[in-house]
Parts: sequence; C-alpha cells; structure tokens
Amino acid sequence: MQSSHLRGILLLSLALILGFALMGFEMLGSRYLYPYFGGGINTWASLIATVLVALMLGYLIGGALVDRTMSPRLCGALLVVAGIYLFTIPLWVDPLFAWMLTSVGDGMAGITFAATMLLMLPLTLISVFTPFAVRLLLVSVAFGGRIVSYVYGVSTIGNVLGTLVTTFLLVPSFGSRALTMFFAGVTIACGIVMMLCDRFLRGTQA
Amino acid sequence: MRKWCLPRRMAFAGLASLAIVAVLAPVAAAANELLEKRESLYNNIFIFGDKDAVSMTFGQNKRYYTESAMQLSDPGGLSVEYTRYMTVGVAYPPKIERIAEIGLGGGRTVSYLSASLPDTGILAIELDKDVVDLAKKYFKFQESARLRAVVSDGRAFLLKDSAKWDVILIDAYRGPFVPFHLLTREFYTLVKSRLNPGGVVVQNIEPSTMLFDSASATLKSVFPSVDLYDGGGNVVAVGYDGPQLSQAELLARAAKVQARYKLRYDLTKLAAERRVLNRPTGKILTDDFAPVETMRAIEQKNEKWKEQTEAPR
Repeated sequence: MQSSHLRGILLLSLALILGFALMGFEMLGSRYLYPYFGGGINTWASLIATVLVALMLGYLIGGALVDRTMSPRLCGALLVVAGIYLFTIPLWVDPLFAWMLTSVGDGMAGITFAATMLLMLPLTLISVFTPFAVRLLLVSVAFGGRIVSYVYGVSTIGNVLGTLVTTFLLVPSFGSRALTMFFAGVTIACGIVMMLCDRFLRGTQA
Repeated sequence: MRKWCLPRRMAFAGLASLAIVAVLAPVAAAANELLEKRESLYNNIFIFGDKDAVSMTFGQNKRYYTESAMQLSDPGGLSVEYTRYMTVGVAYPPKIERIAEIGLGGGRTVSYLSASLPDTGILAIELDKDVVDLAKKYFKFQESARLRAVVSDGRAFLLKDSAKWDVILIDAYRGPFVPFHLLTREFYTLVKSRLNPGGVVVQNIEPSTMLFDSASATLKSVFPSVDLYDGGGNVVAVGYDGPQLSQAELLARAAKVQARYKLRYDLTKLAAERRVLNRPTGKILTDDFAPVETMRAIEQKNEKWKEQTEAPR
C-alpha cells in the first residue's frame, strides 16, 4: 500500500475518533451542568452554542496555523493540551459551578459561562485538527473537494456515533467522571500519535 | 413469502389499534374537555376539565401524565390520594414554621397546608413559570404573605439560598420522570443541609420501575431513617436524621399537631399507614452515575417495594 494511502487512513481514523470524543464531551457536559443549572432547554442551548463557537474558533485558528507551519507535531501538542484540560475537569468542576451559581446566577449568562469554562478551550483545540487534516491530505488541488468532503464526512460520522453511543450505551453503564477521563485519555493518545508520526504525516506535499 | 406476511400483519395490528382509539376517544372527550394547551419552555401542558374536575397533565410520547387534579365542588380537598400522604411530613418535626416544596403542579398540596397551618410560611419552588400561571388560573392557587412561589430549578434554588426549612416536599415530575439531578446522593445531602434540626424531606416516588429501588436506597444513604407510605399508586417517602422514631412516638406527635390544627386529613390516620424502609436493595445514585432513563425502563410489580420494608415498632 502506498504511504499516501496509509497517511489518509491514519488521518481519517483520527478524524473519526476525535469527532466521537468531541460529541461525547458535549453529552457529558450536560451531566455536569444539570445539577447546578437545571436540565432544561436553556442548558442545552448554552451547551450547543458553546460547542459551535469552539468549532468555529478551532477551524479559524487551525486554518491560520496550518498555512504557516503545517506541523502535525504542533497539532498533536494542542490535542495533548486539550486532553490534559479535559482530564482535570472532574477535579474542579463542582467547586467552580457552585461558585458560579451563587455569583453569576443560573440565567443565560451563568449557564453559558459555565459551559464555556467546561468545554470552550479543549473543544477549540480539538477542532484545530480538521483544517490540519485537510491540508495534510491535500496532495493535489485536483482532489481538493473530495479531501474536504472525506474529512468532514468521516468526522461527522464520529460526531453521530459519539452522540448516540455516549448517551445510550456509555452514560448508562459508567460514571460521567470516568468517561470524561477516558475520552481525555483518547484525545491525548491521538495527539501523541500525531507528534510521533510527524514526518510520516507531512509526506510529500502539494 | 415472509416479506409479504410481516407488513400485512402489522397493517392489521395498526387497524386494530386505530379501532380501539376510535372507540375510546369520544368517551374520553365527553368526560374531559381540553380547556387549554400551553407549550412552555419545559413542558407541553394540557389543562383538561369538565363540570366537576380540572386536571393538569404534561404530554409526552403521545400520553398524558397527570400532574395535578382538583374537584371544583371541593377545591380545598386533596383529590389525589398520594398528596394526602405528602402532608404526613408535618407530623414529624418539633415545629412547622417553614415548609418548602419543589415542584408546584396545580399547587393543591401547598394550598391545603397553607390553609390548614395558619402559622406556617410556605415557599413553592417551580421550574416552569407557565405551571405557576396555570395553577393560579385553574387551580385557585393564590400567593399570599405566607404562601409564595418562586420560579427556579429546585436544586439550583437550594444551592443559592441557604435558608433552612422544617419540611421540604419534593414532587418534581416532568411527565413520567424525575430529572436525574433531583435523585442523587449529592442532591439529598444538599436537602439535608437545608433542614432545621428534626426536619424531614418528603418525596413522591413512583414505584412501578426499578428506579424506585435506587431512589429509596439513595435517600436512605443520606437520611438514616426513611419511612414509606402507600399512596395508592405512588409511594411517599419521608426521610429524617437520627434514629428511627418509635410508632408510639410518631403517633403522639401526629396527635399533637392534629389536635392543634384539626387537619382535614387526620395525621394520626395517615401516620398509622407507615412502613419503615429497612432493606434497601437499589444501587445508590450519584451525580457521577445516575442512569435514570435505563432504570425507568425496567418495570416491576407495583407492590414489590413493600418487601424492602417492615411494620414500625
């Protein structure tokens, strides 16, 4: 098999896994927010808006970075940082949210602030991966459209699986703290893979 | 061949169920007219009524779950049996100056308590503003100096407000289920910290699924003593700190409160129905792990919960 094919398989696998983890974190986010801000449509609105803003920021930052350096090692390092942040959530989330509830309240500002503290930074860093994957796979402009569609398509399949499997299988079977740490570990592992495969992932570029 | 059989059978089943609906629907419509339908931030609320009764239901999965009901000829009565048992909580504490209720519904229980206990201040904490509005519009729920309603998530309110209560009533159903964050050990620990010495928590728990076992076991993990009352379909749990009261002691307390306030639903008769939870079997729910949706899907016999209890001594 050509190394460009292997590179494609590796990057699309990472897109799938990270897409899974990203939505997994969103669903777990609700379990952290409910006890403090209630389980209504307002909690979900704040959570979804936060995740979408994180995706937007990640795409913007990722695009700007990859045009400058195109370094898989940098992208991997950002994933490791995201994973470490997520890994520590169970340690600080309860005192922080209790404080927010009493100081900011449980209105839109309070819930959005809480969701932002919980997920904004790590999910932004995770979604930096998408522009990197597109650019690293882009060996020829002739395939540009398909490359973009594969990366987005595969990572969206990951999103869908992450949403459904987390909600219907994982949350009913394991604690949300353990799941958070597990997904964080997976994110860190993805980052380490990218850092270790730096030269392989660069390949011969267009 | 098989491919053809299945859809036909399904089509027949579909026709049969349509026929059942067609037979039932007019009867239901005659007995119960839809007075108002309101889509709130949290619920689809339906108010049904006829000449003598009005009920508040939340629609979910094409079914209606009754949250509250009132006889128009007897607005002061508690027409739903379990709500009478919710009032047994006032027999336990040394004083009943302050009562909080999480989950207003039509507000019948707090209205009854407010009317019956003239020295008691009552606060109802209701998540859904439209429920408060409809309670006022159809269920004669009236706020006063002693009876107030506040719109907030119950747990968020208790976290923010450190005031203490003699009785905390919890009846926070959204359609068929209680939100998971009102069933965990962390939540009950918070409730316990908001009770005055000798105070009690009273919760309505639906016993027909496995969730009951976990909810009662979780309550028992925080409150050393838990009593259960069979409220005709629903179970009312009373949790309190300290060792189990003897039945003679509880009856004496109930008689004292009853003698003073002459409650319509005699506290001594309600207290006589007490069962003591002494063999909790369920898994304890925490904020970390509370698979309430899964547990609710596992049905069990309605009367099975009694196996976990014994008669009080």
